[in-house]
Amino acid sequence: MAFLPLIKAVLFAAIGFAVGAGATTGLRNLLGMEPWSTEPVVTMGYVFALIGWLLGVGLWDAWAREWFGKQPKEPLHEGWARFLRFSTDHKVIGVQYLVTMVVIMLLAGALSLLMRVELAAPGQTIMGASDFNTTMSLHGIMMIAVAVATVMGGFANFFVPLMIGAEDVAFPRINAMSYWIVPPVAVLLLATPLMGGFDTGWTAYPPLSVLNASGQLLFLLAFLTFGVSSILGGLNFLATIIMLRAPGMSWGRLPIFVWSIFSAALISLTATQSVALGLLTVILDRVAGTSFYNAAEGGNALLYEHVFWFYSHPAVYIMILPAFGIALEMLTHFSRKPLFAYKWVVASLLTVVGLSYIVWAHHLFTSGMGDYLHLPFMVTTELISIPTGMVFLSGLGTIWQGRLWLKTPMLFALGFLMNFVIGGVTGIFLADVPTDINLQDTYFVVAHFHYTIMGGEIFAILGALYYWFPKMSGRSYNEALGVVHFWWLFLSYNVTFISMFWVGILGMPRRVADYPANMADANLFVTVASFVLGASFLVFAGNLLYSWIKGPVASANPWKARTLEWQTSSPPPLENFPSEPTVVGSPYGYGVAGSVHARLAPAGGSKEQDGQS
Amino acid sequence: MLELLIVPWNLFPLAAAEEAAVVDNAFKLLMVLATPVFALVVVTVIYSMLRFRRRGEPTEDGPAIHGPRSVILAWLTVTTGLTILMIITPGITGLRELRAHASEAPDLLVQVQGGRWFWKVTYPEYGVSSTKELVLPVGKRARFEVSAMDVLHSFWIPAFRVKIDAVPGKITTTYATPDTLGSYDDDEHMRIQCAELCGLGHSVMRLSVRVVTEDEFKAWIAESTAK
Ligand SMILES: [Cu+2]
Ligand SMILES: [Cu+2]
Repeated sequence: MAFLPLIKAVLFAAIGFAVGAGATTGLRNLLGMEPWSTEPVVTMGYVFALIGWLLGVGLWDAWAREWFGKQPKEPLHEGWARFLRFSTDHKVIGVQYLVTMVVIMLLAGALSLLMRVELAAPGQTIMGASDFNTTMSLHGIMMIAVAVATVMGGFANFFVPLMIGAEDVAFPRINAMSYWIVPPVAVLLLATPLMGGFDTGWTAYPPLSVLNASGQLLFLLAFLTFGVSSILGGLNFLATIIMLRAPGMSWGRLPIFVWSIFSAALISLTATQSVALGLLTVILDRVAGTSFYNAAEGGNALLYEHVFWFYSHPAVYIMILPAFGIALEMLTHFSRKPLFAYKWVVASLLTVVGLSYIVWAHHLFTSGMGDYLHLPFMVTTELISIPTGMVFLSGLGTIWQGRLWLKTPMLFALGFLMNFVIGGVTGIFLADVPTDINLQDTYFVVAHFHYTIMGGEIFAILGALYYWFPKMSGRSYNEALGVVHFWWLFLSYNVTFISMFWVGILGMPRRVADYPANMADANLFVTVASFVLGASFLVFAGNLLYSWIKGPVASANPWKARTLEWQTSSPPPLENFPSEPTVVGSPYGYGVAGSVHARLAPAGGSKEQDGQS
Repeated sequence: MLELLIVPWNLFPLAAAEEAAVVDNAFKLLMVLATPVFALVVVTVIYSMLRFRRRGEPTEDGPAIHGPRSVILAWLTVTTGLTILMIITPGITGLRELRAHASEAPDLLVQVQGGRWFWKVTYPEYGVSSTKELVLPVGKRARFEVSAMDVLHSFWIPAFRVKIDAVPGKITTTYATPDTLGSYDDDEHMRIQCAELCGLGHSVMRLSVRVVTEDEFKAWIAESTAK
């Protein structure tokens, strides 16, 4: 039965919760404390529920049996039921991540529309400040999860092994576990309103995050769990890219998308611990009565801001570096030209990784930290313009004199360039201390990061969904609807978010449910535009959903692209390639006579065949 | 609503303090630097979409240009130069202007306390405090000593372009020299607005700001003391 693993997982989770909660109550009783205290009981219950969930969904059958000398059970490799269980096939995990993340994206998008309705006019329209704060906070953290995991969990899983000519990732079972950690995160977040919601935004600054409703605890546990998933993912992709490249796939022949995942994985693996520590200390302040952030007992609220941003600034590069990779990948194939300045782009990606660790305090220019820290963090932050500029040179140089094939993915890649340049230059206004002192915590910031993450990364992700749709589903999407979606979204997106810069300059703080009357017109305008934007996603969802079930069957390489994922069937077989590919040249040898990226020996045959079309 | 469609050069709201001019000038300078960068990218993309477009499936490859070293080095030089320029101005120059008087004694000391969800201002030199409005004499440099009673807040006066967080267990400071008479009733930017999320009442955690002449200020102090 298809749903059996999920039913088992829920059951085991319930048992785990009972065990954890029971043990905590019992222990408290033994220690002479009031037996029931919601937050400690929920925390311990959750920890055991998570373990129960993982064992139930398949970690026991596919993995843990081995620890007790038993034979692990062979996972299911056929039929749609394999998507509903613990599968170690990187392609299944990729699809699991993508579907989960697209659903979360649409939900979080709907939440943003609720916020826009509330903000359509001053005063209260549809909800009070408390519900608004929870809606806003949920929108924030859900979209952060989407921005982190859609590429790193979804596309990287499906395509990194294919593009480097490997059979799977280095640690398939850890990979499966990193996905199955995600559904509990979603459940916790959606349950926050049941425990009073949470009103700190996704940043969870104490002391507020220590003092507010218990919904905050669920949020903290969710974010912490998500961090574990992210660390495991980073580890896995580093090991995969270092160890499993096909013969001949030297570092200089690695597709730029793979390089971008490598860069982002470095950050995932090494920076996430910092935010985990921050979240853990807030949980301890709430649950165990420690005082990391309680000033009255010698704690320091500013400490959290440093710890939090020490991860969360690098984290924006976990989001944006893979977007660079995706956009450049699509630009080169649809221009039919080599990627411009390939080596310089690789160096730039790695430079951004390095710089990303030493810029965090640009979020703290108005926090009250020492004034002497302003100048160094302004300088390091603005230096990021240089490697980012190199990525732009590569994009523009690649399309210049190309043979531009303006299919939907290409439109999104070009849209990425135009949106991201706005995100980039407005970032300077926030890196510059004098302007940031005024703009910090206003809608200018909201507009800026939406330009980088939505106009930038989400545009790249949407492009990639169209680009790789035939490979993943084996079917073609409707091109006309794709083009309609692009133009509809591109125009409404820019109208909506350009106006938010204006609202910010007008003096509207971010994260507010209400504002003075002078900002009424501008806000109504944004609200109307945001609904036009939201409606464009109906075209997107309808197109992909219908095409997935009924679309025309796709060929192996509809885009005539040279990278390895297109040199196998759509969708690829379980073992990816009929036999191990041998890489003999650059993946971007367009216009070079006789250039070949890889050779694939047909299974069982001896005749060599070109790996390109 | 039409004003949204054209971005006017003077897009800033009321500026009522000397510090606001520094911030607005820095903003304008960055606009001057950012516009050509933005234009270069957008124009190149649109031109390429029109000029290099091929209808239908591509039948040939483009030229194999891998990136001539001269172009890359020229680009690197220009982007590095621009970056250094904006670090120097408005970055370093703006910081120097904002901090030019940091070591001088202020004309007036105001203690600002943020609590959920109100602002309390105290004038220790006069033994006066208020939770109704912040009154400042025009042309006098005020030092704000900001603190928080419970959670993080942020002291922001949009018309002054000045902002500093209120942090529990800590006193943070900022300065402003109001140079324009006016009050919240004339212009909504004359307000203290909490800018750091602090829970339920965050959006409406505001306090009117009123900039008056020195005589009016003295009268207001006398009147407040009498109460
Ligand atoms: Cu940052
Ligand atoms: Cu507040």
